[in-house]
Amino acid sequence: MPKSRLEGGAALRRAVVVALFLATIAGGIVLDNYWLRSLTEVFLIAAIAQSINIIAGFTGYAAFGQVVFFGLGNYATAIAMTRLDMPFIAGALLGSVVCAGFALVCGWPLFRLKGHYFAIATLGLNGAVQAIVSNWASLTQGGAGISLPLPPGNVLGNARLFYAAFLALMWASVVVVWLLNRTRFGFACRAIRADEEAASAAGINPLLYKTSAWMVSAVLAGWVGSVYAYWQSYIEPSVAFDMDIAVRGFVILLLGGPGSVFGPVIAAFVFQLTSIVVWSYLLTFHLGLMGLLIMAAVLFLPEQSGWTNIRAALAARASAALPAFARR
Amino acid sequence: MLVLQALVNGLLLGGLYACIAVGFSLIWGVMNLINLAHGSFVLVGAYVTATLNQAFGLDPFVTIPVSGAALFIIGYVIQRGLINLVLARSVFATLIFTFGLNMLLVNLLLLVFTADVRGITVSYGGLGWQFGPVRVPYTRAAVFGVAVLLTAGLAIFTNCTRLGAAIKATSFDVDAARLVGIDVDHIYATTFAIGAAMAGMAGSLIAVVLAFSPVTGDSFTMKAFVVVVLGGLGSIPGALAAGIILGIVDDLSSVLLDPGYRDAISFGVLLLVLVVSPRGLFGKRFYAEIQA
Repeated sequence: MPKSRLEGGAALRRAVVVALFLATIAGGIVLDNYWLRSLTEVFLIAAIAQSINIIAGFTGYAAFGQVVFFGLGNYATAIAMTRLDMPFIAGALLGSVVCAGFALVCGWPLFRLKGHYFAIATLGLNGAVQAIVSNWASLTQGGAGISLPLPPGNVLGNARLFYAAFLALMWASVVVVWLLNRTRFGFACRAIRADEEAASAAGINPLLYKTSAWMVSAVLAGWVGSVYAYWQSYIEPSVAFDMDIAVRGFVILLLGGPGSVFGPVIAAFVFQLTSIVVWSYLLTFHLGLMGLLIMAAVLFLPEQSGWTNIRAALAARASAALPAFARR
Repeated sequence: MLVLQALVNGLLLGGLYACIAVGFSLIWGVMNLINLAHGSFVLVGAYVTATLNQAFGLDPFVTIPVSGAALFIIGYVIQRGLINLVLARSVFATLIFTFGLNMLLVNLLLLVFTADVRGITVSYGGLGWQFGPVRVPYTRAAVFGVAVLLTAGLAIFTNCTRLGAAIKATSFDVDAARLVGIDVDHIYATTFAIGAAMAGMAGSLIAVVLAFSPVTGDSFTMKAFVVVVLGGLGSIPGALAAGIILGIVDDLSSVLLDPGYRDAISFGVLLLVLVVSPRGLFGKRFYAEIQA
């Protein structure tokens, strides 16, 4: 009896995932420009949340300044396309190399820190990189920003192109997290989150796994940044390294359940669409409203939570309704 | 000569950084909470002073107790009503919570005071001492003096009063504090209120020497970060020394390099200290967050 219910849950989840997959593809064909753009933003933030999920949800390190990789992806691609005349894909690959390298170089010293100290170190990292990018005008044009070559095609065609690109990134991020959830590598990360010393005693090299996990999440965030730069066709430091992006990613991760495979995607839809709908009514208060939404999300959603928790609560209620001998 | 002037300016501004940071450090040290809205508390203090100055012509220094009292009340209410509900949560939940609080405060400030850049000009603003090539304006000297007095006052308060002892006891061991009859929720709220009041009074001082607008709060929060990490969490003398070091490094880097690199240098100092000596210059060994 319990086994079949478990299998029923898995089948339901699979059905939801397949339905959402098909619906997002169909959306790219039937939606108009406005909704294409709104959903593109949902996919973007979902991929960012998944990137944070890898390092914060699985490995347990709150990389608060994760947006630094988004920004590096932005700038690596923009510089590659405008200064080196590279095609977009080459620029994005360069962005991946930059992000992975940066995570590798910074991971070694920073992973000696834990908790708040790691979180503020990543915040400092983002601030330092932003300040350097803002001032290194000969390379980055500083605060003036960089204009990228426009993608070929008409407005609707481009809207569809970037819808598809971010959709692909979102599903790629889901696949990465899904793989992480069932491989040795992911188990090692979760062991580190649960108890680093015990993991280390069991033969896991924490520094190696933490740094590798950060590199994977950095490359993911970097790709989102690369496509974002091409999409916006104009970037500047204050947007590319905007902490709001990281914070929204964290809120969505919290809503969706840290360490969960599919929760962050659902949460991205809920959070992003809610905020789009609500703040079209309140133009002068959207920052404050965003703040209120964030605070409410933290206040009313218990940790380890979101959908996983709601499901657990439902399961507990269902189980309580059964006669004692039939309970698990 | 420019370097000598930068040293003096940095020293004088450093006292202010210390004053901003000790409140932040107190809250972090006692309830293990990083308050990302600290810079906005500073700004609220600055706006209290600017408003009183504009409406009644009050001297900015006279308004310090008013902004202190206002922020004490605001801080107590915010802690009791909001922060207390998330204290037991994970690092990233509390960080994004205070980030959200900060967004709300910034938006409220924008609505009430608009995005205009403000500053206060006092009648004695242009006066000062001249020591050879170095000029020390009265305002900057007075701001430094008051900032150091406030910081010292906080040190005396935590070391020499019963309430201060209760705060320290709570920060060392919550359960033991409860056992000896300390009302922990009240202590947490009071601590948060004191930290906010320190920020508000520092804000009054900032109104005298710096231009500010609702979006400049984050830079104060970052200064507080650097000072607390450099000076060591929970150490008030450490914060004073670190504030002055940061002030001098800041001003020297704008003179010797490019003013734009100020922030990069601040963050660089933060990262360097975290990596090389996470306990800071004067910090004690705190919590289990740092691996040996």
